[in-house]
Amino acid sequence: MEFFLQLLLNGLVVGSIYSLVALGFVIIFKSSGILNFAQGEFLLLGAYVFLAVASAHAPIGAALLLTFAFSAVLGIVLERLVLRPLIGEPIISVIMVTLGLSSVLRAIVQGIWGTDTRPLPSVFSLDPIQLGPLPIARGYLYSAGCVAVLLVVLTLFFKYARPGIAMRATADSQQVALSMGISVRRIFALSWSIAAVVSAVGGILLATMRGGVDGSLAVLGLKVLPAVIVGGLDSIGGAILGGLLIGVLENLSGGYLDPVFGGGVKEVAPFVALVLILMVRPYGLFGKVRIERV
Amino acid sequence: MHSIRTALFVLCAAAAVRAQAPAGGDIKVGGIFDLTGITSDVGKPFAQGVRDGVSWTNENGGINGKKIRLVDVDYGYKIPEAVAAYKRMVGDDKVVMINGWGTGDTEGLKAQVNQDKIPYLSASFSGHLTDPSKTPYNFFVAPSYSDQLRAWLHWVKDDWKDKSRNAKVAFFYGDNAYGKAPIEAGRRYCKEIGIDLVDEEIVPGAFQDATSQLLNMKQKGADYAYINVTTTGVSTILRDAKKLGLATKFGSNPYGFSEALPQVAKEAAEGVTGVVPHVPWGEKVPGMKRLMDFHQKNHPADTHDALYVRGWTYVLVWTEALKRADKAKALTGEGVKAALETLKNFDLGGLTEPVTYTATDHRPSTKTPIYQVKGGKLVKVAEYDMPRKPEWLGL
Amino acid sequence: MRSGEFHTTYRADMAIFDTARARRVLGVFLVVLFAVPLVGSSYWLDVLNRTAIAVIAATGLNILTGFTGQISLGNAAFLAIGAYATAWLASHGVPFILVIPAAGILTALAGMVFGVPSLRLKGLYLAMATLAAHFIVEFMVTHWDSVTGGVNGTSVPPPSLFGLALGSDRALAFLILPACILHLWFAKNLFRTRVGKAFVAIRDQDISAEVMGVQVFRFKVLAFGVSSFYVGVAGSLLAYHARIISPENFPLSLAIDQLGMIIIGGLGSVLGSILGAIFLTLLPEVLRLLTSALSGEFPALVQLFAPLKLGVFGITIVLFLIFEPDGLAARWRRIRNYFRLYPFSY
Repeated sequence: MEFFLQLLLNGLVVGSIYSLVALGFVIIFKSSGILNFAQGEFLLLGAYVFLAVASAHAPIGAALLLTFAFSAVLGIVLERLVLRPLIGEPIISVIMVTLGLSSVLRAIVQGIWGTDTRPLPSVFSLDPIQLGPLPIARGYLYSAGCVAVLLVVLTLFFKYARPGIAMRATADSQQVALSMGISVRRIFALSWSIAAVVSAVGGILLATMRGGVDGSLAVLGLKVLPAVIVGGLDSIGGAILGGLLIGVLENLSGGYLDPVFGGGVKEVAPFVALVLILMVRPYGLFGKVRIERV
Repeated sequence: MHSIRTALFVLCAAAAVRAQAPAGGDIKVGGIFDLTGITSDVGKPFAQGVRDGVSWTNENGGINGKKIRLVDVDYGYKIPEAVAAYKRMVGDDKVVMINGWGTGDTEGLKAQVNQDKIPYLSASFSGHLTDPSKTPYNFFVAPSYSDQLRAWLHWVKDDWKDKSRNAKVAFFYGDNAYGKAPIEAGRRYCKEIGIDLVDEEIVPGAFQDATSQLLNMKQKGADYAYINVTTTGVSTILRDAKKLGLATKFGSNPYGFSEALPQVAKEAAEGVTGVVPHVPWGEKVPGMKRLMDFHQKNHPADTHDALYVRGWTYVLVWTEALKRADKAKALTGEGVKAALETLKNFDLGGLTEPVTYTATDHRPSTKTPIYQVKGGKLVKVAEYDMPRKPEWLGL
Repeated sequence: MRSGEFHTTYRADMAIFDTARARRVLGVFLVVLFAVPLVGSSYWLDVLNRTAIAVIAATGLNILTGFTGQISLGNAAFLAIGAYATAWLASHGVPFILVIPAAGILTALAGMVFGVPSLRLKGLYLAMATLAAHFIVEFMVTHWDSVTGGVNGTSVPPPSLFGLALGSDRALAFLILPACILHLWFAKNLFRTRVGKAFVAIRDQDISAEVMGVQVFRFKVLAFGVSSFYVGVAGSLLAYHARIISPENFPLSLAIDQLGMIIIGGLGSVLGSILGAIFLTLLPEVLRLLTSALSGEFPALVQLFAPLKLGVFGITIVLFLIFEPDGLAARWRRIRNYFRLYPFSY
């Protein structure tokens, strides 16, 4: 029982970070209809920039602000330079462009910082806090807390703040939003920069939990795709739930099935879940069903 | 526009000419390194050690006057790239031997190097490369991974004080040829010396989280665990273990354990033991002076570790073989192999154990020191000499 | 300027190489192509073989994605299936003449299984499903030790003809090049038949195609099958070429590379597959030549080569998509028409 609970808890904490990254995907998809395969690299860049600033002995708060500013600018620049010329192109071109972007960003990171694991200055001590019978790392708790706060803020933003409502309107129908006076161009830029910042937060949290920054952080971009699809590509609540579900699924399957198959189940389980959900409910648990008209 | 085009053309032409520049009397040696792949954390210092060793040799008389040209390549731990690089080096560059790196590609290429008669000194210490009847052209400079694991298990036996039961040990290894190399030997040796192997956990090539594997191990109640990945992976496992409050004592192979480990894993590395066949940087042995002088002269600002020392020892071994082959007027693949097999207790100034190869046994040495992290520093705690058992050859 | 073209039958009009001059150029090209394995150095033969294999795989992918509009990220998985089938069959002594088509058929069957989701899924969702298929196949390959050798990989015995082992790149070229030409010829003709036109109709607007009487699901699955056959053959030749295959030979980046090839070359065009495959196979080689030549002055370049390769690949894709969305084939057609109509090309 304790084993199960420990795995569940770990899964929820890791899943909360997946939710954050999934949110980044969904924000971009909701407003501009593009699935951004470079989201993992936003995470990576956010973590590395934070590392670079923090290693220069800047106070943590300033480092965070600088990283967010950088990510916001990165999102805007990429949207303008790369995605704007591709409006109206077939979806395969858009998918490929984001894949190409992810290669470029990863190459830049590798070129500047190399592939070593760079240790992050320790923020949390490694000794675990006891939650009943279960030990849980301090870093995990803080991370889960941060994510929860951020998710609440974002949900409220989309529900009540004017830019948030504008984004939802643009997601529904770009033409109607334009006719209502919403600047769709600015909405695109805004959504990309929010997504980049959210991913950067995820990257920083993940790096602090692991104690180091290296290239493998970008793998999260792929891992989170099942979470996004399971939740529904255009649902914020779905992204949150999807992330948590996938995190739990990963850990439970790793814990119970790894000994049976000799390892590797943890990585493949989310994709099996992906296939299943695509067969049963392709638009995800909360996604909107797309009706195609000829 | 016109000037850019001209400039580009000139650049390409210069590159083409340069690429075909004759070498003239140089001895070409291939170098296949991992500078950007999943083992680059240990691959980079090793490659630097090899390059520095070659530079130093060239500055100090070369091979009986001839200079060594290192044709080096980064293959990012991708076996297909290693195979392509090998084909290039042997077919086009016509190298006389190769200083390789990883277990996966070395074991993959062993049939090919045998056919092409190219001596292959790999940084992989896989026991599968020690039997000349199967792999006559493979060599390495350290006790094999299997002997290292046996030495560590021996330490476990000595460290375990409870007489009421056997020590319980778990193996953590990566899902690749390198990770699995010593495991079978380890399983058999546990049975031989009376240690209970209670758990084997597999981790993927690059992983961020080992919690579920550690929880599995906790359930089986392992007292000790041997980790067979590289420093980054070891650090992740140690940190996750600390977060779970585990009391298991961890040990690691020489690619997971070096001065870099306490830096990356910080307090989680305290008390961890490891196999250290090549001395840490700065250890007081006679051979260290040469390395320190070169370091002072060329890059005094760099930091180095045992992996860098390892690269140097490789160069020291094969340049000696090249010198002997050259004296015997046999600077071919077979000649270099024969020269390597004449090395008997070849002294490396304490940087590692003296090296002996014979035509029937390619195990260079069998003495394995065990170090422990105490106060963030590497301290020697034991040394074991594994007997050269014939049934262990090739395992 | 081309003149004197006068066709009197439908057959002559629909021919692929419709003028005598085109046929002559083709003949010369083929002679030169087959002369290369006789005189080339072993390294460039290796490049030639790899390029030819990439052309077959890219053509297969183009049939599926470019002509039928089904986005597939599972190419690496299909290559793996073809390669491992070959390794297993060859190690059981089956002659290569039978192994290669058998591997192709096996992969085609697997492809048809993965094509079943295409009934319900389109576009992005289908891409996700094929992505998941890639990881699942990778998992199976890594864990089915008895057949695939697991992570250690498995070695492939060289193809043998009348007892002679044809393992060298030179000998393999005489196997790979004809196979490549055969497949290209078949693909080009496929799209002049009903089946090919059904594929294109599905890409353009599958609901209308269904209304017009094209059995969409059947043809979608068939497209997956044909495409996977091509990729399976490519995987089989890859296995013979590489001699040792392991799961590391088939990472996801391979599938992305091949998608890149057909996008750069041109979706929906056989010439595009050829051009794209050649371009993306030669790009890292050119890069390597440049870095090794310049590494004397800038020794840091050796370490930068891997990120450079990745970065140049990414930038090429992005730039092509922004500036040349129809690919190299379209650009080639435009250049060719310019010279054909010269001096009246405006």
